[in-house]
Parts: sequence; C-alpha cells; structure tokens
Amino acid sequence: MKRSARRRHARAGRGSLLGALLFLATAVPADEALMAPLAQPFAAPDFDLPCEGGGRCRLADYRGKVVLLNFWATWCPPCRAEMPSLERAWQKLGGKEVVVLAVNVGEDEDAIFAFQGDYPVSFPIPMDESGSVVKDFRVTGLPTTYLVTPDGRVTHRAMGTREWDSAAMLAWLRAQARPRQGGTGDGGAGRDRPDRAVLNGR
Amino acid sequence: MPAGAAALESGSGVDPRSGLRFWFVRDEGMSLRLAQILPDQTRGFFLARGFSAAQSDRIALSCVFQTDFRNIATGDAPLAYDLREWVVRYRGESRRMKLRADWDREWREAGLAPGPRTAFEWALYPTTQIYQAGDYNWGLASFDLPPGARFDLELVWTRAGTRYRHVIRDMKCVEDRHMEPGGETAE
Repeated sequence: MKRSARRRHARAGRGSLLGALLFLATAVPADEALMAPLAQPFAAPDFDLPCEGGGRCRLADYRGKVVLLNFWATWCPPCRAEMPSLERAWQKLGGKEVVVLAVNVGEDEDAIFAFQGDYPVSFPIPMDESGSVVKDFRVTGLPTTYLVTPDGRVTHRAMGTREWDSAAMLAWLRAQARPRQGGTGDGGAGRDRPDRAVLNGR
Repeated sequence: MPAGAAALESGSGVDPRSGLRFWFVRDEGMSLRLAQILPDQTRGFFLARGFSAAQSDRIALSCVFQTDFRNIATGDAPLAYDLREWVVRYRGESRRMKLRADWDREWREAGLAPGPRTAFEWALYPTTQIYQAGDYNWGLASFDLPPGARFDLELVWTRAGTRYRHVIRDMKCVEDRHMEPGGETAE
C-alpha cells in the first residue's frame, strides 16, 4: 500500500480514538530536570529492529556516539509532547557526537506513519512491535529515555518528558560525548546538574 | 508510619474539558492525579488495538482512571511506589487494584494475541516505579469495580526512606454513558 493511502487508512482507524484519550492528558510542564544517573549502569542490549520507512535499525551501528534512546508509543500523550523537542535536539546536535533513536513500542508501521503526519521527525524510529527490546532495557513506563555512552553503557535515565533542546540539556548531552572535557563520567555516582554557566545561558 | 507530611493537599474537581471528575494528592515532592475516563473512550482505544468487542467491554467496565504520578521535587530524594501495596476499600471489603500481571494472566487464558497484550501492558500504569526528580509516568489504572461504584483508595509511597500513607475518600467509577457533543457534565 502506498504511504499516502496507508496514512489515510491509519488515520481513519485511530485518529478519533486518540483524540478522545488525549484530551484527558494533563498539561506537561517545561521541566528543568536533565537525566538521572542509574544506580546500576548496565551494558546496552543490542537490537536489530525494522526501521520505520525501511531498512534495519541496529544499536551497534551507533557505537562511538552518545545515543539518546527514547521508548515511546503514539497513544502516549507525554511521548507525543516531547517529540518536537526531540526533533529540534536531533537537528541541533547534528548526529556527529549524539544521535537520537526513538524506539516505538508495540505498534505497527501504519500507526507510526500516521503519527508522523502530525509530528514529523527525521531521526530513526526502530519498531519494537513485539515489545521484546523494551523489556530487555528494563523499561516500566512510557516515555522512558536512556543515555547510552559511546562504549555502549546505559548510564542515565529520564522518565516522562524533558525539554531535549534546552540549552542546559544540549550542553549536558554534548558533555557526555566528551566525558574527559567536562562530562560527569561518573557512571552513576551522583546526580548530574548543569554548571552555572550553562544554567545562565538558558 | 507518617500519615503524610503536613503540606499534603488532597481533593477532587471536574475537568473543564471533559466534564469528568478527577482526584489529586500533592505533597512535598510528589503529585498524583487520577481522572475518570468514559467507558466508551476505553472501548475505542482497545478496539483499535486488536481487542474484540467483548474484551474491550471487559476493560472499559472495570473502572479505569487516567493516572499521572510524578516526582516534583527539586532535590535528590527518589520517590517510590508499589501498587500492590495500595488498598481499594469497597462495600466494607479491602482489595487490590487490578494490575498488569493480573490482566496478563487473564489475557493469556483467553488466548489473546501477543500484539494486543503488548499494547495493553504499556497502556496500563506501571506496577512499581522509582522516580528521580522530574520523572513521572502516565497510564491507565484499573480498579475492577462496576460503573458507578464508590470506593476509598489508600495510597502508599516512599520518599527518602520514609513511607507515607494517605486515603483518598469517596472516589467514584464513572457511569457507562455516552459523551455528548460539547462535553459532559459530572454529577
């Protein structure tokens, strides 16, 4: 089925229902929090999933870069709310040191494609339709976003939305790609906070 | 066990957009909101995700609330909960909420396909969670009570090693009724 036809089909099936649930969502405030270090960092389980739009998405292909690994679903209002800021962060970060992968949980390509009509994003979307990868990563609720270090360790987590393109967040993410030049690199030893200069730049 | 910090606020209201009732608890560093969802909305949501009409009806009529629980602290103290510790008091009896594992058992016995089971699991509120500052989840909570049932809900959460308890009194499962154009009016 052509994409335009699939989009119409998917919208007809889901749009009104989504709208009905969405209006119940609470407002999502701009959040000053960054990402919290994990008490027990772990090696990122590799995955090889179909990518929305074609091809395969393999986590191992991004070794050497910081990966902002987001788990989401189209029906989840906070997930939807943070997609624009994730896209802006992706655009600003440029994919050289930090990349964004947004793993969709439990939905088919039609649902994701329809979603992109309202929330266009250009970062890769691996599709975890069976929900196996989200379990490997010990996710318990959506949205959850992990930070995967260049050497493949999961060290930080955010549950719920964040302002991914805030000055503080972007500076913090870039610092994680260069841990010896200002990143915390603590592997979970303490709560990360932006330094004063970064905060003043917000 | 503390009954909650002195700053605890609790109450209920009517969502101006939906006309449906919600209940909230807000304490130092924590915020919880439980909002009614019309059975028709729940039916539609799950019908679109591979559930049969009977199965969607089963969920829709199990007293579903939209739940938003978050750590609103600025400090480092994590906030933790376990829904298995929460107590539903209904008609003089104490019972548990119907949680992910309870539903999953039912769906497996019914032979539900993996796809819908996955969708259901992720739509339902997590059974246990530890929130760092700024963290929260959003999802459906199911109380397995009939439409119109009134109940008290005893909440338990832990913050910085201290357990807190609070009872939300006289919550109500929404009736099975249809949304009218222009919005609903809560009773």
